[in-house]
Amino acid sequence: MTAPWQPVSETDYHTTDLPRILQPQRPAPLRSLFAIVLVLICGSLLGVASAYLVMERERPLAAVRMGPWEAYPTAGTADADPYSIAIYTRGAVIPLASGEGLALFARTETDGRRLDPACSYRIRGQTPTARLWTLTATDEHGDLMETMAGRTHLTSRQLLRAPDGRFDIIAAADAQPGNWLPLAVSPREGSGLIFTLRLYDAPVTTGAAFDGATMPDIERVTCP
Amino acid sequence: MTLSARASWTIGILATLMLAGIVHILVILTIPQNVTHTAYSDVAAFGPDRVFNLLPDVEPGSEALPALDPAMQHAVCRFQLADGPVQFTASIPVPFWSMGLFDSAGQAIYSLNNRTAGSETLSMLLLSPEQLSILRQNPPENLEDLIVIETDRTEGFALLRAFVPHEIYAPETETALLAASCRTLAS
Repeated sequence: MTAPWQPVSETDYHTTDLPRILQPQRPAPLRSLFAIVLVLICGSLLGVASAYLVMERERPLAAVRMGPWEAYPTAGTADADPYSIAIYTRGAVIPLASGEGLALFARTETDGRRLDPACSYRIRGQTPTARLWTLTATDEHGDLMETMAGRTHLTSRQLLRAPDGRFDIIAAADAQPGNWLPLAVSPREGSGLIFTLRLYDAPVTTGAAFDGATMPDIERVTCP
Repeated sequence: MTLSARASWTIGILATLMLAGIVHILVILTIPQNVTHTAYSDVAAFGPDRVFNLLPDVEPGSEALPALDPAMQHAVCRFQLADGPVQFTASIPVPFWSMGLFDSAGQAIYSLNNRTAGSETLSMLLLSPEQLSILRQNPPENLEDLIVIETDRTEGFALLRAFVPHEIYAPETETALLAASCRTLAS
């Protein structure tokens, strides 16, 4: 079968029915160079920026979560992931080694809201077994802040407990009856708040005993 | 041969993302080698090497090192294994103390606390594999009382943490921390 004859018009004599991909093209060196340079610049910027953002977050990735509390048991060991190694060496942070204890950090309440240094909180419940533990309030970079009491921590030895061993701690800027964890008197805007619970000589550091471990709850009491 | 506009855009974006990924990984992996101050170098500011130097109390605005517990008193000692094995001794009259050995990159080599130390006084020997083989040939008499740790790291630091239950124990704890030793044994 042959196609019916078509008259050839002279107006479109330079068009071809070759597919576009097979058509010969004039090289455009300047455009190609521009495209390559653009890819290089954008790629490098994106890579550096994403690395910077991860570093600024100051939170290792391999976290073990227990309610609002986070622990990084591999930080500072040979099993640490490259992000944790980079974060810890950049901050010159000396971690609690596994034979010493385990540090747990809370940045949020039990129901997920971020901690705010202007609010007051109730920390209630039990901790995993430990010979000694301390609870410290810091800003989001882990720096201590001036408090009304002059101290920034509470230890398990000074604690008032219920007969069943449970405790009730109020974290607030103003003095509180009972167990009081002083918070910053005049927190800077957006300085953030982290509770650090350090369990010393605790069995949870030396094994995968995180399942079934009970951690205290953090609830908001008042907010201005 | 030239690609369609859509194909060139796709390839351009893919190339950008792949390059970004490579740069990201390179940056993360090279940070530890390029940091200007590490825990190991910061610790040198508190005094000479191979001696336990007391760190100032952990208070708001004057924290010696990041992430230290304000309930504790700390002493730190930098050591180098090139000149011989390092012996640590400590006896601190507090309910809890712990010691961590870290290499120059801040990675834990060994750690223990006063319960796992086995006795009231700590006596620990840190040595390189070569020094350990020398030690094996002529073991010292008190080898049973020593905790012997072998490491392939040549330098690092030890951090002693002592829990101060109350301020009145602070001077006593300070004295005990300063009396702790971290000295190179002549080999």
